[in-house]
Amino acid sequence: MSFSTRHSSLATRHSSLVTLLLNPWFQIAFSTFCVAIAELFLKRGAAQAPKLAASVNWTGISGLGIPLVWIGILLMAISFVSWLYVLRFLPLSIAFPLSQFVHVLVPLFSWIFLGELISPRRWAGITLVVLGVFTIAKPVARLEEKL
Amino acid sequence: MTPISALLIVVTLFASVTGQLVLKYAMESDLRSRRFAVYFSAGVAAMALAFFVTLGLLQHFDLSYLFPIQGLSVVIISLLAALLLREKLTARLLVGAALISAGVILVSLS
Repeated sequence: MSFSTRHSSLATRHSSLVTLLLNPWFQIAFSTFCVAIAELFLKRGAAQAPKLAASVNWTGISGLGIPLVWIGILLMAISFVSWLYVLRFLPLSIAFPLSQFVHVLVPLFSWIFLGELISPRRWAGITLVVLGVFTIAKPVARLEEKL
Repeated sequence: MTPISALLIVVTLFASVTGQLVLKYAMESDLRSRRFAVYFSAGVAAMALAFFVTLGLLQHFDLSYLFPIQGLSVVIISLLAALLLREKLTARLLVGAALISAGVILVSLS
């Protein structure tokens, strides 16, 4: 498969860590994970941000004074670069649906780390996304094994 | 919902879908080429437009009202990637994309 051979040739002369980092399938997981963690930091940071007058408050601009918000922004930037790498090697019609796993991670992390509740309807949605991701990822994983 | 906000919702969906497709097209080219510079800038501009219009819409609508519409982007992007970027689309991929779309809509509705 052309999109997996292109990156492995880059990695042949490097260590296994570099091989992992250069793997677009690793990067898609990494990118998705970064977005979910970034959302947590942004939420925590936004809660600390001072409330400004209603006319400017919707922009969330007061969050820029909060370090947690900057960690969130940094993670978002890292995830974007990682996503660009993914786009270079994987078809968008596979990569984009898989990246939507973030809609599973964000409710789960909010539940675990922020103590937010997950409604039954949301659990149902999470289940559907997981099923969809497995449906797409399974034949791909089999192809990768053969290489 | 006024016709203008309906239009803006369509604009955000269109801009984010276009952004992904154009960025994908950019990343497939030589990173030093003019084609890359043009499409990369266009992709980032489309993403920025989607971001700021969404931010504006959030002033008037709940998250649970706006985000389900984004769920549709999964199916739309997969179909357009097949159509415009000539990616191979299998029945299995479409079923997966449909499941994810439905799931994202359910997650954001609640």
